[in-house]
Amino acid sequence: MDVSERRHVALMLAPYVLGLALLVAIPALVTFGLAFTEYDLVRSPSFIGIDNFSELVRDDVFGIALVNSLVFAVLAVPLRLGAALALALLLHRRYAGIGVYRSAAVLPTVIPDVAYGLLWLWLFNPLYGPINTLLQWRGDGPLLTAWGFQAPQWLTHPNDARAAIIVMSLFTIGEGLVVLLVTRQGLPSELYDLAALEDATVWAIFRRITLPLMAPILLLLLARDTIFSLQATFVPALVVTEGGPPLYSTTYVPLFVYRNAFEYLRYGYAAAATLLMFLLTAAIIYAQWRIVKRWRRAFTV
Amino acid sequence: MTSLGVEGARKHFGGVQALDGVDLEARDGELLVVVGPSGCGKSTLLRCIAGLETLDEGTIRIAGRDVTRERPAARNVSMVFQSYALFPHFTVSENIGFGLVVREVRKSEVVSRVAASAELVGVSHLLARRPAELSGGERQRVALARALVRDPDAFLLDEPLSNLDAGMRTEMRTELRRLHRRVGATMLYVTHDQVEAMTLGDRIAVLDAGKVRQVGEPDDLYRRPNDRFVAEFLGSPRMNFLEPDRAAAFLRVPDGTILGIRPEHVRLDGDADGATTRVELVELAGSDAYVHLDAGLVARVPADERPHEGAEVQLRISAGDAHLFDRATGARLPWT
Repeated sequence: MDVSERRHVALMLAPYVLGLALLVAIPALVTFGLAFTEYDLVRSPSFIGIDNFSELVRDDVFGIALVNSLVFAVLAVPLRLGAALALALLLHRRYAGIGVYRSAAVLPTVIPDVAYGLLWLWLFNPLYGPINTLLQWRGDGPLLTAWGFQAPQWLTHPNDARAAIIVMSLFTIGEGLVVLLVTRQGLPSELYDLAALEDATVWAIFRRITLPLMAPILLLLLARDTIFSLQATFVPALVVTEGGPPLYSTTYVPLFVYRNAFEYLRYGYAAAATLLMFLLTAAIIYAQWRIVKRWRRAFTV
Repeated sequence: MTSLGVEGARKHFGGVQALDGVDLEARDGELLVVVGPSGCGKSTLLRCIAGLETLDEGTIRIAGRDVTRERPAARNVSMVFQSYALFPHFTVSENIGFGLVVREVRKSEVVSRVAASAELVGVSHLLARRPAELSGGERQRVALARALVRDPDAFLLDEPLSNLDAGMRTEMRTELRRLHRRVGATMLYVTHDQVEAMTLGDRIAVLDAGKVRQVGEPDDLYRRPNDRFVAEFLGSPRMNFLEPDRAAAFLRVPDGTILGIRPEHVRLDGDADGATTRVELVELAGSDAYVHLDAGLVARVPADERPHEGAEVQLRISAGDAHLFDRATGARLPWT
């Protein structure tokens, strides 16, 4: 690349780099700096060393929020990726009505978060919500399903509420689905022709051909979805469950940060929680990368 | 004995008739080449035989069994693809053994059969490598080894040399011929390259617009083409065609016919009172030269006997070398 080309590239990158610096990098650095201060928006920030972090370690609510966030990520990420992969494998072929099915699968992802949250508030309603109405259809008694167990109390029981947040996240997989759909369509059809000639079963084709060839993209989506899942709980927890039911069942780190910063005006404390979450996310991504590298090597005959 | 047979095969895609009543048979141990221009239906024919496409009408028999409605794996054929279809995440050894492993053949047997197959095509030293570390020719050998490892009733080869450069293609062509002689298997080989067809095939089937134009030994098709399409498709440079009025300078040709003459049969050493024409262009092709003449003909002469451009030459064409085709149907006619 000669000097003139470099200048052009620099010029074209400049608006993005400027925006990134002003809107992301500098605020992030300021936030990390605030993590070591006490700041309430009224008085000037005062440096308190690692006091915020010490308090976070002792804070039961932060502990609950952290565990909730991790449990959500551990359950939601594989389920979301699995659902996106399954849908991509179902929808990659061309047949009548395929456009409608693909649009339907992607649609929930493009609904604004708050509207999506309000929609699920109705869907999860234990009295008139369609999910429980369906589950209790032909049930033996009040709140019982046809199989004899109690219908989930989505918004009032702690575990059911946590499950509700996960269920909500399983329908916003449009981006991953589109990426996997394109990836699957890009795999050479001759490999599948060959597999058909060699009598490979559906499972063998999936395990030995499709999965390893899609693994690089799946790894990328795994990292991306992990970051997303540690943040995605904010709107559902705020709009649908308000962090409850009691004892912070659906209080996740993003909601914990929001409440400390904007309801309790503890900016320094919220910044410290944000910094911890950032480090934790980075550690998880690194661990995933190491594991998947080994996992990919296992996909040989 | 017929090892592979197709009877009355028809297949259409939307409004396109890809196969239009194809009848074809490959004898036991024969290398039958199906040749034709792009879009003539040759790959569709191969895919139908493999079971990767279903026929609209017709019957397919492999090793005496009617397999028309059977799934691909039950037909016991191996296929070699133009793109090689090697699994990029497998080693050469794993690629060759894929069909055995998914059929749950014992591991020790997989190892020995992979080794034997690799030995046969000369890739034993590459077994631990991955396809990305191989040249085009090596990849094609691996694809062949994978086809050989299972001992199928027939081999289907879909333009397997098309992705190779010219030198490697010639080398692999010879290798394939040798390999066929050694294993003695029935092979159906599809190509658009008439040189490949002529040099490789025990017999050739020329396909055009979903129909078989002619089946026969390469020499027979070259010397006695059934129609103008076969005559024009086989041979390089192509056969010369002359309307009766232009042909009159050399031979008397009936109305409603077209004269066909191969470039090697256009001689430039005619009598002084014979037809004279000017040399427009001379192309040197190694030992031969292609001489483009103002008379609308191309002559093939030994390179060291080529005339210079602009020279006047006397043409000589013998009736015994010429072909006569019906102008309307293209069918070859006898000289009267």
